[in-house]
Amino acid sequence: MKADSIGESRGVLVKMVNIHKWFGKVHALKGVDFEVKHSEIVGLVGDNGAGKSTLIKVLSGVYLAEEGEIFFEGRRANITSPGDARKLGIETVYQEQALAPNMSISRNIFMGREPTKALGFMDKKAMDKASMEALRNIRLDVASPDLLITVLSGGQRQGVAIARVLHFEAKLVIMDEPTIALSIKEAHQVLEFIKQLREENISVIFITHNLYHVFPVAERFVILGSGEKIADVEKKDTSIDHLTELIVREPSRL
Amino acid sequence: MGVILTVSKKQSSLLKLVSFRAANTVIVFVVLMLVFTFFTRNRVFLSSRNMGLLSKLAPDLGIIALGIGILMICGEFDLSVASIVAVCAYVFVLLLKGGTSLFLIAIITLGLGAALGLLNGLITVKGGIPSFIATLGMMMFWRGILYVSSRMWPIGIRAYLPAGTSFEQIFVGRMGGVIPAQAVWFVGLAAILGVLLHFHKFGNWVYATGDNREAARAMGINTDWVKIGCFMIVGILCAFVAILQLLRLGSFCCTQGQGFELKAIAASVVGGTFLTGGIGSVVGIFLGALTIQIMENGLILMGIPVFGIGAFIGLAIILFVILNSYVERKRIS
Amino acid sequence: MEKQQFLHPKVSLAHFFHYRSSSVFVVFVGLVVLFSFFSHRRFISGGNLQILLALGSEFNIVVLGVGILMISGEFDLSVGSIVVFCSFIFIRLFEMGMNLFLAGLITLGVGAILGWLNGLITVKGQIPSFVATLGTMMLWRGMTLLLSQGFSRSFDVMASPTFSRVLTGVIGGVVPVQIVWFAGLALALGLILHFHRFGNWIYATGDNKNAARAMGIKTDRVKTICFILVGVLCALVAMMQIVRVSTFSSRVADGWELKAVAASVVGGTSLMGGIGSMVGVVLGTLIISAIENGLVVLRIPYFWTYTVFGLVIVLSVLFSRYVEARKLKHISKPSETSPGET
Repeated sequence: MKADSIGESRGVLVKMVNIHKWFGKVHALKGVDFEVKHSEIVGLVGDNGAGKSTLIKVLSGVYLAEEGEIFFEGRRANITSPGDARKLGIETVYQEQALAPNMSISRNIFMGREPTKALGFMDKKAMDKASMEALRNIRLDVASPDLLITVLSGGQRQGVAIARVLHFEAKLVIMDEPTIALSIKEAHQVLEFIKQLREENISVIFITHNLYHVFPVAERFVILGSGEKIADVEKKDTSIDHLTELIVREPSRL
Repeated sequence: MGVILTVSKKQSSLLKLVSFRAANTVIVFVVLMLVFTFFTRNRVFLSSRNMGLLSKLAPDLGIIALGIGILMICGEFDLSVASIVAVCAYVFVLLLKGGTSLFLIAIITLGLGAALGLLNGLITVKGGIPSFIATLGMMMFWRGILYVSSRMWPIGIRAYLPAGTSFEQIFVGRMGGVIPAQAVWFVGLAAILGVLLHFHKFGNWVYATGDNREAARAMGINTDWVKIGCFMIVGILCAFVAILQLLRLGSFCCTQGQGFELKAIAASVVGGTFLTGGIGSVVGIFLGALTIQIMENGLILMGIPVFGIGAFIGLAIILFVILNSYVERKRIS
Repeated sequence: MEKQQFLHPKVSLAHFFHYRSSSVFVVFVGLVVLFSFFSHRRFISGGNLQILLALGSEFNIVVLGVGILMISGEFDLSVGSIVVFCSFIFIRLFEMGMNLFLAGLITLGVGAILGWLNGLITVKGQIPSFVATLGTMMLWRGMTLLLSQGFSRSFDVMASPTFSRVLTGVIGGVVPVQIVWFAGLALALGLILHFHRFGNWIYATGDNKNAARAMGIKTDRVKTICFILVGVLCALVAMMQIVRVSTFSSRVADGWELKAVAASVVGGTSLMGGIGSMVGVVLGTLIISAIENGLVVLRIPYFWTYTVFGLVIVLSVLFSRYVEARKLKHISKPSETSPGET
């Protein structure tokens, strides 16, 4: 849509400054700075235990950082619960898909935020309509909003999870390993969904091990290692090989 | 005896065995013993008469709990134990009336127990339905069959089995004139099952199946047959208890064993076994079963009406499990 | 059929099948036809249906709560004990000469508290509800026995005829009030379960607790409310029973805990939570009451009841597994190949 026109002069959507997080004696995040611009897809990569998930959980309100500040749209944000993050427009698509397998698509999309008529009864029509619309927006075709999640493929399930954040007008979508445990074809489908999010002017943080998945879609890459930021590079300045080398190299040698 | 030798050879194993989530049970057990000793009149709890009584009665539930505990470790339930006990007792009595040789009867009864366990296992595993439901169905089914075929009449065995035979001595006699044979059986079976569960590869399969069935299957363990095997162990132990009970009471009654199904689960849980499978130990189960029995016995000696005992046991189960899960969480974090 | 039409007003048989109640319905119809045929229609005579539903409703009402609780992913083995404890409270209040409606309210309150306690122990103590309620089952039954010393106590139905009529009267000389209570509660709870957002939270909590929590649903509270619901229903049933038989007995509702779970499961509710429906739960519990009654009508000795229960439980669950497996195969094919059909 208008992504390109904004593209040039876009501002910073979220900025995390000097984030520290301890788990008991383990210093999981050692003063990490991290930012995402408007409608930007950032790949957050690094080895296991590098602190990717911890950083993201601080941003989405699951963990509270001991030190550091978060700015959202230029204002200081106090994120102490997932609810706070959601209110700001930060939505997470979890690694373990946050879907209830035996519920229908539309019930899943509106889980916990059901539109209601009188007395808290659900507005099923509105739910179905909005669900189908959100699914169409990411170009996921399903026969009916009443289908149970169980009968969907892995890629389609991620699609439903993505449609959910799209419907609730997220400004920033955090995707934690969205392509893990998917077949090549399904992973490809998910990457297409992510591109659709960008079309809707939504920023995306894409966390993964798999450089081959993130490289084609992301515009910038942030590499974490042992709780520190090792690198922050634009796509045009790097390659998959270069990124791999950065990840494998010990942070102390930089 | 076997197990004591094995364990003393490996001191560390013994320690591991005790510390394996059975530590809380040990503490509770010891505290209960002390409380009952000091708070019953004239320390009647520790009197040889009461101890003799306890060691005669406790093995009934205890032996079943051993089986249930192992079954729970591999991730399944059996609610049909009480009905299996009664069916086995009934068949035992029928065969006795028919005049079959005693040892043959015992073998047939144990075989029947194994067969009923096998049936539970097959329904659960091959039918793909939760064991809770499968065995709940079988519990009602067998009890109903028993009601119908026995017409709810109790049957005495004394007319067919004179007291004091060597057969009877083996099951319910007294070792050296002092220790009831039941207690010896209980300890012996616990030892055998303990070795099986903690040192034999089958035991490893049981844990793996209960802990992560997919992983176990991926490693080539036939989890279906591990589960069926555990169901059969439960069945055999039930048949064994049926014989013990029959010889002790001298008569069959179609309501025999009723209530054991939930009590056996309670005993396993108090012994640190997890409902979700994969966690538990024979030492824990053994102590858990004893704890429940001692509590019953001790409370009665303290003058609490028999019918109200359940209230205290219920409360104790809740408190104990809360304590247990609290300690567990502390340990993990 | 009217009821299903009402609960699923939008369509259709397909929708009904979608709710996994189809196999339960088949079992139910099969049983009714079987009993009717072999009893020379005595089973479906007005008189027998009246007995079946009036007596059965007490147990059935409890099952409604147990079914919903199971959908939220928890068990309650203490239902029988809550019923007996509430009966005792109610009879004591009656003996104190309290206004029965006030006594009724207090009894409901006690039921709610016992349910809340179950919820609290399960949720805050983080222990499986199976164990928690196994404990409270022994606790409350034992307490009742201790307090009542095991004696029965009598209740005077004429103490408040209005109160008695509300719980056990007969409308128009034909319809026992218990049926109205059962149907009304089933309808109300069905509407909440399937059309209210709280119902959606119940399913989400039972199906995928982490997902529900991530979406901001307070799963602990949802579960606790379900436990409280069970407690309140048990208290209501306790009063119904006392008024019907005009005595308190400490053996009341013995064995209901497993029967209630069985009824829910026969009705297609999953032990793991997240799956089940009000139609299914209603049919499941009707199947259990129909067996109990049908065998009597067929003049088959009561002894057989348990055998038939056992068979029906195992076979119906096997049957529904089979139907389920076939249906999944059937659905999953078209959904992948036919896109975009709204």
